[in-house]
Amino acid sequence: MHDKPSIRTLLLGLALLSLFALPAFAGSAVGETAPAFNLKGADGKSYSLADYKGKVVVLEWVNPNCPFSDRHAREKTMSELAKQHGEVVWLGINSTSLDHSNYLKPAETLAYNQKNGINYPVLYDETGKIGHAYDAKTTPHMFIIAKDGKIAYNGAIDDDPPGRKAKAERVNYVGGGLNAEKAGKSPEPASTKPYGCSVKY
Amino acid sequence: MNPSKSTLLCAAIAAALLVPSPARPAASQWSVNPQSRVRLISPWQIASRDGELILGLHFRLAPGWHVYWKNSGDAGFPPSVTFQPAEILGKPELLWPTPHRFDLPGGLVAFGYADEVVYPVRATIWPDALPSPGSPRKDDPAAEDPSTARNALTGGDAVFIKADLDYLVCEVDCIPYRYTLTLEQPLGEPAVTDPDTAPLLQSWLDRLPRTAAEVPGLQIGTLLDAARPGEPDLEIRLRGVTAKPGETDLFLESHESLDAGRPRVKVLQDAVIFHVPLKPREAGNPLPSKVAFAWTVSNLSRGDERFSLATRREVEVVTGSAAKPGRTPAGAPDRLSRLLLWALLGGALLNLSPTVLALLAGEVLALRQGGSGARERAAAAATGIVGGCWMLAALALAARRAGYSVGWGIQLQEPAMGALLAVASALLALNLWGLVEIPLAASSSRSGTGRHLLAGLFTVPLALAWPVPMLDEPLGYAFSRGPAAVCAVFAVVGFGLALPYVILAAVPAAVRLSSAAPAWLPRLREGLGFLAGASVFWVLRVLSRQVRPEGLAWIELCLIGMALLAWLRAREASGKALRFALALGLAACAAGASWLADDNRLAPRPAAASRSHRSTDRLPSISREPPANRTSGG
Repeated sequence: MHDKPSIRTLLLGLALLSLFALPAFAGSAVGETAPAFNLKGADGKSYSLADYKGKVVVLEWVNPNCPFSDRHAREKTMSELAKQHGEVVWLGINSTSLDHSNYLKPAETLAYNQKNGINYPVLYDETGKIGHAYDAKTTPHMFIIAKDGKIAYNGAIDDDPPGRKAKAERVNYVGGGLNAEKAGKSPEPASTKPYGCSVKY
Repeated sequence: MNPSKSTLLCAAIAAALLVPSPARPAASQWSVNPQSRVRLISPWQIASRDGELILGLHFRLAPGWHVYWKNSGDAGFPPSVTFQPAEILGKPELLWPTPHRFDLPGGLVAFGYADEVVYPVRATIWPDALPSPGSPRKDDPAAEDPSTARNALTGGDAVFIKADLDYLVCEVDCIPYRYTLTLEQPLGEPAVTDPDTAPLLQSWLDRLPRTAAEVPGLQIGTLLDAARPGEPDLEIRLRGVTAKPGETDLFLESHESLDAGRPRVKVLQDAVIFHVPLKPREAGNPLPSKVAFAWTVSNLSRGDERFSLATRREVEVVTGSAAKPGRTPAGAPDRLSRLLLWALLGGALLNLSPTVLALLAGEVLALRQGGSGARERAAAAATGIVGGCWMLAALALAARRAGYSVGWGIQLQEPAMGALLAVASALLALNLWGLVEIPLAASSSRSGTGRHLLAGLFTVPLALAWPVPMLDEPLGYAFSRGPAAVCAVFAVVGFGLALPYVILAAVPAAVRLSSAAPAWLPRLREGLGFLAGASVFWVLRVLSRQVRPEGLAWIELCLIGMALLAWLRAREASGKALRFALALGLAACAAGASWLADDNRLAPRPAAASRSHRSTDRLPSISREPPANRTSGG
């Protein structure tokens, strides 16, 4: 039996082999294209980064069972900032593994958010795939994605890990970064070392 | 001037009241929580009024919980403490015993201490700031700070120390705590040590890392290899100390712009080499010519002494041909398209390497002889090449996961692999001369698509022998981006390598042109065999730096033996059994060459450990570490 695969099939296969996975050049360093995601929120809706093209997006890795994430939720560090920056898309992401004791069911997340005045979506990344794509290490770990889809800030929420300072005295890196973005500048600093609990992958 | 009796009496009573009895522990109360307990300790029941005062922050931790080193790792933070009264104690400094590594879920790491730790605290007593001994209570103590008030009360015979402590204790969960620890430290002469706390604190002072100056004969070499953009590699070489495989570890202090990955440790005789993969937090910023790093290396020894070592160095940044220092950072899309273009060009360039060119020419001839369907067969060869590159990507990723440093040309780092390449090139030469029939290249008139697919696959390992500096940067970038990026770059390289076949498949005129080739082309094919032979020479030249001369001579003999057997088999042997035996002999020669290369490898010279700075002259490959952890046995 001598069957010849058609040249079209072969060339198509070749093209697929060659060009597959090109968008994989995204990364978590400042200046790199933010990795795409499509995650389900605690509210049951799907959220895709691609839907926010042309907008500034803030990603906040959260874990309500982590004392740091919880403190900032109670202190409204991000929820108040999100209100001030209505033009910015604000997304919490919880990468806690399904089998970790810190895992919260969507209903529990919604109740927690309501209690703490968090009115932005919190997305579920139980597999940790998106957390690893962003190299998210701690809760909280903050990212600002600029309008061009590139990471503009990667790091800590503020300069006060123990939470000793009064809120007004802390340097809120995300607030500073968003103001810089608004003014058409790059956040300064563009990266810091995040602090908090480890992400419970 | 003798003080009056009554003054002496008063002083004695005051001293009796103010100086605590020796039974009183030189430590604060424990502050206790379910995960940990912490206290401030002093080694002194009575400390000198002047000079250095070493205290200790003593933690006891519940099983499984840890507190942090000065670089906490991926999460957490180290304890922070402020001491009062600052006017007497200055700004005491927390010292950091050698930490341990804790692996957390998700590949995260933490650096710190489990079970028990004493962080020594180095303070200095400023005697001028103390009230003079026995002086009466001040009328107006600075009431805003209780410790100042208490210190005024002690009248200079003791210092009331207050430590505001924040710390984080983690298992997998983390809990922050905040305490104020207080300790009244009696002062006077002579100083008296505490029998409980002094030895405890001393045992932790002994666990502080030594400085390089405290280890005579130690040589430190450092190098920051930035040849692969986005993936700088910090190399630290210590010579003159003994490391313990599996125990000696490197802990880098936090760096403002570079995140450190897990170090690879290579233990040699009286030397240890670390390679730390670094990741810039901000892409595209070129590294300066020097970058400051500080680190601690644990579990070293010299003779009977065991110690750890803390060092700080300005590390020279070395860039390869692919990355020039000070080049302006290109924007990511520009850079990406440039890197992909380089990958494509690099791949295409590989077609000019003798082995690949020889195979390519043979294939083109086979396409011509095959009659109709030449385009399909060219497409099959191209698919084989790209598929081979995908396999190569998978192999490279697996090797990398196993901790090897990989790049184009890596296989030439291993003598056995190099010998196999020499064998493959020799086989190709013999095949082109018509002495060996491998069902891959041009020698047969049967030319189905499957065979061309295989020929495409075979092209990939042949191409591997040729270092193409152009590929360094795209591959380095891809490896810093993860598996998908690696696959993408390899696929583009494959596409470049397959470009001649793609053109043959896509442009009918190209096939016609090759079909119209004159009759002397078979002679050309035989001529190309010499090109393949030349590449044997090239591989042997690389091998000559890796294996002993007599070993190299034996390998060459194997190759000649192969040629002889192939010639005998093609020209003289008629019986089936004899042909099979000769084929077995061929295989044995190939295996023998590979074994000889491994058996005769040159051990890494001991001096190599100290030649840390210019180590790029070793091989025409972008890898800087031989994959195997061989020691310099002999």
